[in-house]
Amino acid sequence: MKEITKYISAYYLDEEDLLSGIKKMQENNVKVLDAFTPFPVHGLDKVLGIRRSWLPRVGFIGGTIGALTGFFFQMWVFTEGYQMNIGGKPLLAIPSFIPVTFESAVLFAAFSMVFAFLFRSRLGLGAENKIYDVKSTDNHFVVVAGYEENKSDDVKEKMEAAGATIIEVKE
Amino acid sequence: MYVSPQREPLIKGEKDYATITNDVTAPMAGKPGKYWFMGITISTTAFLLGGVATFFTVWFGIGTWGLNKTIGWGWGITNFVWWVGIGHAGTFISAILLLFRQKWRTSINRSAEAMTLMAVACAGFFPLIHMGRLLVGFFIFPYPNTRDVWVNFNSPLLWDVFAITTYFFVSLLFWYVGLIPDLGTIRDRAKKVWQKKIYGFLSFGWVGSARHWSRHESLSLILAGLAAPLVLSVHSIVSMDFATSVIPGWHTTIFPPYFVSGAVFSGFAMVLTLLIIARKTMNLEEYITIGHIESMNKIIIATGSIVGIAYLTELFVAWYSGVEYEQYAFLNRATGPYWWAYTIMMTCNVITPQLFWFRKIRRSLVATFIISIFVNIGMWFERFVIVVTSLHRDFLPSSWTMYKPTLVEVGLYVGTIGLFFTLFLLFVRVFPVIAISEVKSVLKTSGEKKK
Amino acid sequence: MENKFVFDSKIKMILYGMIAVGLIALLVGLFSEGVVESRFWANLLLNNFYFLALALGGTFFVAVHEMGESGWQTSIQRVPEAMGRFIPFAGVLMLITFLFGIHHLYHWTDTAHHDEILAGKAPYLNTTFFYIRFAIYFAGWSILSYYLRKASIDMDSDADIKYYKKQRILSSVFVVFFAITSSTSAWDWLMSIDAHWFSTLYGWYIFSGLLVSTIAMIILILIFLRNQGYMSHVNKEHLHDLGKYLFAFSILWMYLWFSQYLLIWYSNIPEETVYFVERVNNHSTIFYVNLVMNFVLPFLVLMTRNSKRMIGVTGVVALIVFAGHWVDYFLAIMPGVVGENTKVGFFEIGLTIGYIGLFLFIVFLGLSKASLIPKNHPFYKESLDYHTNY
Repeated sequence: MKEITKYISAYYLDEEDLLSGIKKMQENNVKVLDAFTPFPVHGLDKVLGIRRSWLPRVGFIGGTIGALTGFFFQMWVFTEGYQMNIGGKPLLAIPSFIPVTFESAVLFAAFSMVFAFLFRSRLGLGAENKIYDVKSTDNHFVVVAGYEENKSDDVKEKMEAAGATIIEVKE
Repeated sequence: MYVSPQREPLIKGEKDYATITNDVTAPMAGKPGKYWFMGITISTTAFLLGGVATFFTVWFGIGTWGLNKTIGWGWGITNFVWWVGIGHAGTFISAILLLFRQKWRTSINRSAEAMTLMAVACAGFFPLIHMGRLLVGFFIFPYPNTRDVWVNFNSPLLWDVFAITTYFFVSLLFWYVGLIPDLGTIRDRAKKVWQKKIYGFLSFGWVGSARHWSRHESLSLILAGLAAPLVLSVHSIVSMDFATSVIPGWHTTIFPPYFVSGAVFSGFAMVLTLLIIARKTMNLEEYITIGHIESMNKIIIATGSIVGIAYLTELFVAWYSGVEYEQYAFLNRATGPYWWAYTIMMTCNVITPQLFWFRKIRRSLVATFIISIFVNIGMWFERFVIVVTSLHRDFLPSSWTMYKPTLVEVGLYVGTIGLFFTLFLLFVRVFPVIAISEVKSVLKTSGEKKK
Repeated sequence: MENKFVFDSKIKMILYGMIAVGLIALLVGLFSEGVVESRFWANLLLNNFYFLALALGGTFFVAVHEMGESGWQTSIQRVPEAMGRFIPFAGVLMLITFLFGIHHLYHWTDTAHHDEILAGKAPYLNTTFFYIRFAIYFAGWSILSYYLRKASIDMDSDADIKYYKKQRILSSVFVVFFAITSSTSAWDWLMSIDAHWFSTLYGWYIFSGLLVSTIAMIILILIFLRNQGYMSHVNKEHLHDLGKYLFAFSILWMYLWFSQYLLIWYSNIPEETVYFVERVNNHSTIFYVNLVMNFVLPFLVLMTRNSKRMIGVTGVVALIVFAGHWVDYFLAIMPGVVGENTKVGFFEIGLTIGYIGLFLFIVFLGLSKASLIPKNHPFYKESLDYHTNY
């Protein structure tokens, strides 16, 4: 997401007011860019038109790679790398290989998903994203909307109509 | 989402979102009280004691332990299994209870997950020290040695390496991903510049954008879906250290699910022991309510009863099998020289938790605290019984021996307890003990009264 | 909204037809040369056990959710409650099977030939104690499941909370009773077929199969009811949750299967491996088909969110799993009882169709006797208004 420099933020104190407020703003053609909330608000994705995340797929691919790596690595070690008779078991002792295969699948899936999440959201150790308002991690639900030159008053009015408690114009 | 008025509120008192932030971050802001200092003094002393014991083991070798040629595994493995077991409650709470949409988990998941990480760290210490030389710890990694031999993937001990490592890292990811939004909250409230800097660094630049939340939710749920079978696998694999052998008392097919159940059982007991103290000293009674404690007690009785049934199943099938060695192993457990350990295990694990069938006892803090300690003790003895009594009667009667721990072994155990409590006491100072954002998300549906 | 299921003559005719097929198969089994006696009784045991497991699973489903103060399932609860009605019928059929066929099923009943190991087990494995246990199981299961359902139905006419409390107490009693008897009955009726063999996990393994097949059956009945125009409040959310159960319990079943297999394979003690050696060597096709039907297919198909929310897909998987657990019991029973005469022919299939008909007849009869929704259940409203995200 590109950093927005000119925006108007509208504040709500309740998640249901936030949802109905955004809906009202959208009806009045206010360009709602994003919303910042202290916790995940149920139904906000739908209102803002956020698509369902692809992370599960990333996890599936990561897990598959992990499982295949884990299994074939063990297979290679015992059939090609160094053949060794262990307790009279066959060299390719499939039941014995399942635990490590499973663990590596989970490990790969978890790491690939977390890294995909951080990368996609531009988060990470020491990452600095623009904090639109510090209150949004406490108790305020903040809607950020863009506006065209000299039309801030118009947007402001519409936000007021949408029931926002505080409205601030930032440049 | 509709919530029936029949349900007990999860958050007591009149609250809004700001009060939740204040209440949870308050203990971190002020100076630590005298109980905290007392606690950390005791726990670091214990930890240092463990350091001395470690020094003795490394300097003089494993000979300082009470092991002998019949009983090659004693307190070391007992403690290992005990700690891994305790490490199962956190991920159980955050993963399986999340999948089951149990909202009461929101108040306890963060600290329970932290306990998981600490407990797994304590557990990991024992196999390492059991090698006698800490420097050769890297032998367990899969690499070809100078003769091109690899580690043995057929060995359950190596599966353990993979399972515990994976478990530690996945739990860490899970815990930290959940913590990120709360670290953002603390960053935005921090007054001092250095605090703002550090928490800003740790919070990964979290701003609470709707897009981030959407992905965050999806990530948490899928990680939970992964962690749930992982929890099952870890203690199953630990149990296979024993069950893949041919030793009577160790080799029994019920071990994997029974160990998992026992692990959750002991883990919840430890969580209860700590949280009953923490909620009092940190004024979190409105968040960790009697209702929460009752729910945990219900899990204790469920898992404890499963463990009890597994004990009886083992006993019965040992007789039913018609194999005299099996029969002797279990008879010897109950009536042999270690009968006292078996009695403690049975009393603490099977009998005392049954008291939780009574609602009054389930909802009593004192009773819960006492029983949770009983369970901690009982589960330690369970592992002791499995490890030592199964070994001390060899197939060869001339090798029959007894085992007594030395001071060094006791020191190592005390040291890990010290480490565990030190880490926990530090944790409550620097991180929020309750998942702030998650509690906020259930306030409307499950709070007693919203302002 | 149609709240009461009408058991109309069309459905009845179909079920009568299925039962008739079963009766024909029974006659074929009795008089045909091809069906040896052990095969005849083994199939009766198989179907008795399977449909008993579904009935018990229904009651267990209700009881465990009541104990867990769960809300989402209340609007579909009448289906598993009605499934529990089959327990006493299964008891009668099972009793007939044992009275006439016990010697063909369990070779430990033959005390004429001395067997050292079986003599040691005689205090448990003897016919008298066997029937005593049988009576205890069925008495407990039938009575508890009857009163559990009754408390739920009584709530419809009287909204008093006391019925809910009664339900919770009965649920606890049932779960505790079932926790013990589910294992012991599996030992009695299945494990003792291979009387020398033993495995501590066996009871829990059978129990996990019971869980999966019950969920599959609930899904199938719900889809049927919806197609008939009932239960319109059952939406994708309920289906999604049931789909998750089907997925998760399939994994649980696989986990327990694998735990048992791995430990026996690894230790390689002849007394224990004999069970799997027989099945891998002489029944290898069924051995692998069992794993594919009960784990590989449901695991791969139900992994995505979308497939769990599509009625068609979940329904097909439920059908496969339903058939798969029949195969699982088949593999548990046949090698020990029938041995090399094991076959799947008209007799097996016809008999199973008959049992399905009988089971559904009793379930539908139960459904038609009470409202389809427990409207006074304290958590009923929660079940109508909830969302499943993943």
